[in-house]
Amino acid sequence: MNPSVLEFRNVSFSRGSKLLLDRMSFAIEKKEMVALVGPNGVGKTTWLKLACRLLQPTSGEILLEGKPLRDWGRRELPRTVALVPQELEIPFNFEVEELVAQGRVPYQKLFGSNRPFDSAAVESAMEAVDVLRLRHRVYSELSGGERQRVKIAIGLAQQPQLMLLDEPTQHLDIGRQIELIALLRRLNESGITILAAVHDLNLVAENFPSVILLTPEPAWIVGSAAEVLRPELLERAFCVEKAALAQYCIEPSSDGRMQAW
Amino acid sequence: MISLRAKTGNKESAGPIEGKLHLEPIVAKRRHDRRPAKVNLILLVALFVSILVATAVGPVRLPLWQVVQTLLHPSRAGDAREIIFALRLPRVLSAALVGCALSVTGVLFQGLFRNPLADPFVLGTSGGAALGGAIGIFLIPSLSFGGFGAMAVLAFCGSLLTMVLVWYLARAGGRFAMETLLLAGFAIGTMLNAATVVFELREEAASSGLRVLAAWLHGQLGVPTWGQIALLGPLVIVAVLLALPVAKRSNTLALGEEYAEQLGVNVGHLRIATVILGSLLTAAAVSFGGLIGFVGLLVPHFLRILIGPNHVRLLPAAALGGATFLVLADTFARTAFAPTEIPVGVFTAFLGGPAFLYLLNHRSRESAQ
Repeated sequence: MNPSVLEFRNVSFSRGSKLLLDRMSFAIEKKEMVALVGPNGVGKTTWLKLACRLLQPTSGEILLEGKPLRDWGRRELPRTVALVPQELEIPFNFEVEELVAQGRVPYQKLFGSNRPFDSAAVESAMEAVDVLRLRHRVYSELSGGERQRVKIAIGLAQQPQLMLLDEPTQHLDIGRQIELIALLRRLNESGITILAAVHDLNLVAENFPSVILLTPEPAWIVGSAAEVLRPELLERAFCVEKAALAQYCIEPSSDGRMQAW
Repeated sequence: MISLRAKTGNKESAGPIEGKLHLEPIVAKRRHDRRPAKVNLILLVALFVSILVATAVGPVRLPLWQVVQTLLHPSRAGDAREIIFALRLPRVLSAALVGCALSVTGVLFQGLFRNPLADPFVLGTSGGAALGGAIGIFLIPSLSFGGFGAMAVLAFCGSLLTMVLVWYLARAGGRFAMETLLLAGFAIGTMLNAATVVFELREEAASSGLRVLAAWLHGQLGVPTWGQIALLGPLVIVAVLLALPVAKRSNTLALGEEYAEQLGVNVGHLRIATVILGSLLTAAAVSFGGLIGFVGLLVPHFLRILIGPNHVRLLPAAALGGATFLVLADTFARTAFAPTEIPVGVFTAFLGGPAFLYLLNHRSRESAQ
């Protein structure tokens, strides 16, 4: 049997005296598309950073493709897992293409020059997210949706097996949100395992087969969307009354799951 | 796979959603000149020409052909030979080395702090180097491995310690607050300058050390010995070459420290390399010319407009451009009000101060948006 792409074994994480994650165990299989859901401040960003070794768990073990994270080489790891951060502030007028090229850094030696292989990877990453025509634009002058796609292009240039995205739909209007989710689905179909922190539960219900729900207890629930997106669980997670929740879910999803509230 | 792109005639419109999503002009042009070889060649020629011109200009004006002839046949005796080899050329070369060192340091520090305002003078490391050098001259003059050498080593230590101090003061929560960085640099730089002034008051008038010190505080390039140039020249050139791989990683650092770490860059090592190289170059510059401010801010800023922010292209251009700039600036400073020489540091402050304020204003407007 192939090892899972990402596996948490009894992972706990605390910052100071605050326990953010309590003995979490689960596995994500190859080509899954998973949403990470939970209220603000519950540690979704922390969780994503744990999964790409920017943070170390307090206890427990995280395995990537069956190999413990700490055994991965410094430049080997970013070739398998890419983190697309929530915010990206770029000083100076860097052009989009120059930024996407940074996704090739894990493949390059310090003294080596650019290989054609790298340029091709950058090119196809930009093409996949449709930013080719933005290649000479300055990142800081792009719109929110364009920035989001450029960030994903950097991740794609890493040619990862697993892509972690931190709130990729944040600050986007509804049209750009749908576009972005469609993009994630296409990436997923092309073989990349997707794990995205998403706030909009409607988007999650319609597009993500599996959901990880983090709640402030700390507790966690992993399952299919239908299993996790249940009013009584969400009520506990987001600390609101069912009635109040319904008020914020005015747009019923196609299968009427949210409408039931 | 569905393509997000749909072509309609000449125009490109995008998106699976109906209607035009992108109202901006379609394919943006490359805004920076991507031919670094061409730019560097122009800058190299400019440097040679400015060195020749600067060597010709002075109280005794030498024709250019005579300068070229003397440089090609240095054994031929004559007045021109004395003027060129004893006075002009050492000074012009030291201006070139100082300009090169300061603007390369600027590029390195700006990349490290992700801030176009970071300059060795602004961050106070020049001040630290000056204090270190002053200690070398006055307190331990006996420590003489080459006299000048001891001073340069202590200047390096002063610069390095200041950098480390400013670093820890300005860093909060994994990032640098621009205000804290600039204010910490300002406060420490001022303290170090004040400490250097104390040496000035303690010493007997007319001691040779005192003259060196006064020149340092004003940013006055003197006439160095050929020994000094032979010591610091190769050092500057080697440091600039070592800075090239650092510059490559500075591009990744533009995405942020955490992102660079995620991409497999050892940010800790990068930081140490940048600080050591920057301190080395600052110390070399200060040993020659003292506190010459804003060169590391002016030159990279101007070049960024021309060739863009990519550090790999920017660094060699800054090395050549900085050298050319300071050779011309020093020539202006020593000839414009002849027979009075104004220190080149005063001249660069007049140019760089407004540029600094412009950038500061520009940035605070940007962040206010």
